[in-house]
Amino acid sequence: MMNLSLFKPALVGACFSRAATGMACLLLASFTTSAATVPDTDVVMPERHFDILDRHCLDCHDSFTAEAGVNLEELSFSIAESIETAERWSKVLDAINSGEMPPKTKPPIDEKAKLEFLRDLSERMVLARSILSDSGGEITLRRLNRREYANTVEAILGLRPDTSLLPDDRASAEYDTEGASLFFSSDQLEQYLATAKSALELALLSKPPGDSEIRRFEPEDTYVPLYAELAREQLDRADRYYGWLAAGGTDDLAKDFGYLDGWQAERQLNSFHVGYPPLQKWLSAPENRTGAALMITIKNGFTKMKLPQLRAWQPGRYVIRVRAAAYEEDPVRFRYLEFARTDGTNTTRLGWRKVTAPLRKPETIEFEIDHAPGLDATYQIQKRSHMDRGDKNLESDYRKVNKTGTPWGIWVDWYEIEGPLPVDKISEIAWLRDSSPPKDGSESQLARELLERFALEAFRGEQPNPEYLDKLTARFEHHRRQGMKWLDALIEPLAIILSSPTFLYLVESGEGDSETLSDLELANRLAYFLWSAPPDPELLDLARAGKLADPVELRRQTDRLLSDERSDRFVRSFVYQWLEMSRLGMFAFAGRDFPTFDNAVRDAAAEEIYQTFAMLLHERLPLQNLLESDFVVVNDLLADYYGIAGVEGHHWRKVAIGPDSPRGGLLGSAAVSAMGSDGQRSSPVERGVWVLRKLLNDPPPPAPPNVPMLSRLEGEILPVRELQRAHQEDAQCAQCHQKIDPIGYGMENLNPAGLWREMEVITGRKQAVLGEFPIDPAGMFGDEQAFEDFFGLRREIAEEIDSFAYGMSEALISYGLGRHFGFTDHDLAEEMISGAAESQYAIADFVHALIQSETFRSR
Amino acid sequence: MKPKLTRRAILRSSSATIALPFLESFGFRRFAGAAAAAVPPKRMIWLGMGFGVTADKWFPKLEETGADYTFPSILKPLERHRRDITFIQHLMHRHSQDGHSGSTFWLTGANRYAMPGQSFHNTISVDQLAAETLGQDTRFTSIQLGARGNSNSGGDGHGPGLSLAWSRQGKPVSGLNTPVEAFHRLFSDESTPLAERQARLAQQRSVLDTVMTDASSVRRKLSQSDSEKLDEYFQSVREIEVRLSKEEQWLGVEKKQPNPPVTEPSESLLGYEEMGVMVDLMIAAMQVDASRVFTYRMPVDTMIASLGAGISAHTMSHYSHGERRDVSEMRDLHNAKFLARFIDRLKESTEADGSSLYDHTSLTMGTNLFSVHTLKNCPTLITGGGAGFEHGRHLVMPNEKTPLCNLWLSQLRGSGIAAETFGDSTGVIEELVEA
Repeated sequence: MMNLSLFKPALVGACFSRAATGMACLLLASFTTSAATVPDTDVVMPERHFDILDRHCLDCHDSFTAEAGVNLEELSFSIAESIETAERWSKVLDAINSGEMPPKTKPPIDEKAKLEFLRDLSERMVLARSILSDSGGEITLRRLNRREYANTVEAILGLRPDTSLLPDDRASAEYDTEGASLFFSSDQLEQYLATAKSALELALLSKPPGDSEIRRFEPEDTYVPLYAELAREQLDRADRYYGWLAAGGTDDLAKDFGYLDGWQAERQLNSFHVGYPPLQKWLSAPENRTGAALMITIKNGFTKMKLPQLRAWQPGRYVIRVRAAAYEEDPVRFRYLEFARTDGTNTTRLGWRKVTAPLRKPETIEFEIDHAPGLDATYQIQKRSHMDRGDKNLESDYRKVNKTGTPWGIWVDWYEIEGPLPVDKISEIAWLRDSSPPKDGSESQLARELLERFALEAFRGEQPNPEYLDKLTARFEHHRRQGMKWLDALIEPLAIILSSPTFLYLVESGEGDSETLSDLELANRLAYFLWSAPPDPELLDLARAGKLADPVELRRQTDRLLSDERSDRFVRSFVYQWLEMSRLGMFAFAGRDFPTFDNAVRDAAAEEIYQTFAMLLHERLPLQNLLESDFVVVNDLLADYYGIAGVEGHHWRKVAIGPDSPRGGLLGSAAVSAMGSDGQRSSPVERGVWVLRKLLNDPPPPAPPNVPMLSRLEGEILPVRELQRAHQEDAQCAQCHQKIDPIGYGMENLNPAGLWREMEVITGRKQAVLGEFPIDPAGMFGDEQAFEDFFGLRREIAEEIDSFAYGMSEALISYGLGRHFGFTDHDLAEEMISGAAESQYAIADFVHALIQSETFRSR
Repeated sequence: MKPKLTRRAILRSSSATIALPFLESFGFRRFAGAAAAAVPPKRMIWLGMGFGVTADKWFPKLEETGADYTFPSILKPLERHRRDITFIQHLMHRHSQDGHSGSTFWLTGANRYAMPGQSFHNTISVDQLAAETLGQDTRFTSIQLGARGNSNSGGDGHGPGLSLAWSRQGKPVSGLNTPVEAFHRLFSDESTPLAERQARLAQQRSVLDTVMTDASSVRRKLSQSDSEKLDEYFQSVREIEVRLSKEEQWLGVEKKQPNPPVTEPSESLLGYEEMGVMVDLMIAAMQVDASRVFTYRMPVDTMIASLGAGISAHTMSHYSHGERRDVSEMRDLHNAKFLARFIDRLKESTEADGSSLYDHTSLTMGTNLFSVHTLKNCPTLITGGGAGFEHGRHLVMPNEKTPLCNLWLSQLRGSGIAAETFGDSTGVIEELVEA
């Protein structure tokens, strides 16, 4: 679908002047000559559109009148000539698109000519932006982004710093590795100093972990008395209500029974009817004398298994064990335990484990947690949670049917925590932490040596300058004079090192005068690309020995880095940004509309994408599998959601699926469906645009600014396809939407949460069904290929593997080189594709081709 | 001469002098505060709402302009101040393209893509420009307030940034994100002796000097363009130096306490209640003249949560019928209530000459987002007598694309700041001073 000639720009200038018609003809004539040698799809506006401007614009917008300050007479037809030219054309596009120009008092532009004009211009604007944003192959000095900073500090100190003070670098560019867009704010230096200082204090001054211990809890100890008390209160309410009723039931009498008036008495009886049956059911279940079933009540929330305040505990690794059993008749969703960490305001869900053992024979579930130093948080185990108010809404829906609310799903006999477990990792910073001041008065000398060693590591092999070391040592000496202890006095100068430019920036000055990176610089670029972290000793040693630049060694090291578990950081941050997965968290899905699309499934849906990509990467499977595949990568939880039987255990694995399954490939994944919806309805436009941008590498022009949203604000109950027919009615909308919308319609059988449906059901308040419409997925792909349904669409998209591979190459170049992909990178992208052709596009081969390229090895 | 004409003349003139309070000579015993000022100083406040509003209910009807417009019912609590506020419609930033950023470019009007090869660019915000003049003689050049969590991506619709403010280099300026933090910055005096604090400043300078040694050796290795990138680092160091110098000037001066004194706010304040406390802190800070320029990046997510909403702010911002709209309207109502109380407090706080803080303050509440992802007709409410505007009206600009920067320029000039232009301004909004 992609025309590669788009990337060979020829900047042919042309301008037109109305002042002298003869002159204009002359100019146009010369323009026409050059146009003949330039492909049609250049960023030059085709000459035939001159007519429109001449007839409809120049009366008011020539250099003489220049109404509203707009003069189009000198406007160059070479759109990408300069930002100013592109901006003026963009204004023209917006004005005609919105119908603002020509004004209603003037003759309108012929529809067909206008449509062609708009199509040509909007397509060229996309290209113009790509050309104007081209960095000409230059890679700007890059600051470590927040992720890389955390990983780098962790590599040096052995613990992850708390980076909440630092700006989130994902907000300002497509990729958080884009050097030109990674700013340094006026307060940032102080934030770095503060962040480093607290990390250093934790690493150097905290006591070594104590002995491991086990603490076990019996949930019935907490919940039997609690629920019994709540039940007693409810019964008391009812007793007083019926007593009041028997006494006469008047407002005056209500006070004698502890109620303000009759109205309150009635309400309290209602509360009894809602609150008592679940408690009563729970208390009368014999298993709840020796354990606790996981209940949720409107008033008291979840039955939570709270683990003790870990603040008093040492940082390190812990194992949580839960002795539990499942109620096999309950829906499978409720048969998972949810493990979460909370700091009082924010709850982070850490994972889920399925319980399969029956009540008569409980099993022990294990879950490991890493408690970071300095973290003030507690842990808890509970039922699987839904988003926003979902749990409470579902509870009341269940109660309407069964009086006792949401099924319990799981019963817990006991739970325990053990830790901190001995970790075999040696502390990276022990050499410094275990140092002590020499008695012979040479402590400044030793401090200087330690600071130099630390700086050498923090500077990734770069030698710190002597004057700098003198000043750092002076800082240390000052603190000693102030009476600080040995290590305390070192902390500030160490924090300064972790806030200095050589640490914070990936400085690349090239080998001698050449543009080629030095071996050390290459090692850094490689490690930050594949690990988002500094090079390890092996890589540094090779670089120092001058062996890394050797293509064979470089290839071996690339493979080694990819097979290391740290490459998981590359997989996650690259895929998250490439496929724009932040969209997945943007909307909450209501529990009532999507009862099974809960927090756990949303997390798993994202995980599926990372795991699939990682599997293709590590097992060298064809890239094609991302478009269409005979397998899906799932764990038990996601398999349950997809309705795939026989998947046990929480690890991710390949599961074969038939050709009639929508799963297998990105198009049919829950994540992609959910990313293209607003938590209520699917959006064929969002989905279509995503497919065009990410799968087909054929990005449509951006929507003209300030287009009103087509939404149900009009109050009409229509199927989504009808709702969007307005796109086809208006010529200027149709030019893009005739390509976008059919792809979205083809995906309509997947509901907003990615589950298969035959009907589109529109609900209003209180789940009232407002409309039901059969789904019509058929459409046209491009100009000629018709497809019948989702599977036909998927087939068509899968044919476009070359475009997809090109798009991924672009993304890898942007992410890996730290700069926006520009048209100068076209050849590199082609090299990567041909480099991977032999392996049927194994992802690792794209990575190899990029790393072996001249571009990657130059500054 | 009629006062109206004078105001207009000031607004039009870019070289108008500013009526600054009397300036004590350096080295002489300094007094913090308006007490020493012959004329109460001008103050400027911007309140950023993040996500857009419930558009069909928030704005007065387009056809009802002037003083006799029907007050929007969801802004009911503000109606008691209707003579003192102005709605302006049809203001926008022509460069704004990002439908999730209500604040990033709100006070700057910058073109995010103005720099080739760079996906993010910004310019100085109007408050920082104002602070260069108005902030010279106060302990704090400007105060940026924000809320916990509103910088989370997507969170409150504010977009990239650390507060509403952007520095002269177009870099984000950080803010005070809790009432407790703001309280301590504004009113807590350190118990450490003066000599110790002086010594500490010297130490901070020595830290800066050390990092600069490394920065200079890095710079020697860099190409021209990389070196420009590193300038951001140098700039950061310079800005800290400027701040340290100012701190040094004020070292011997105790922080002035408002009367009645403010007490330390609770740590747990969140949402709507927190917004009220931020108002009290701003008022108190103005009473003691701690600063004359304030911005507040208001909470949205925690605000609607504190009012009992069960959905997130971003979910709300897609106003489909039902709960999402209900929450959005509730948010609009409470923002109106918040502003109404702010105006009450400005009016009841008196200056030395008997006038009120309200008379000398120019306050704007608004956002770059109209509704959902639309960026035209930015919701804009202005109040206060500081810029000499005639309030009590609903203004609809004849040109639907009137630059929002024209308002910022009008406020700057009206507050006595000699600005030629601001952002993409094309002039001032003369209607603001015409009765």
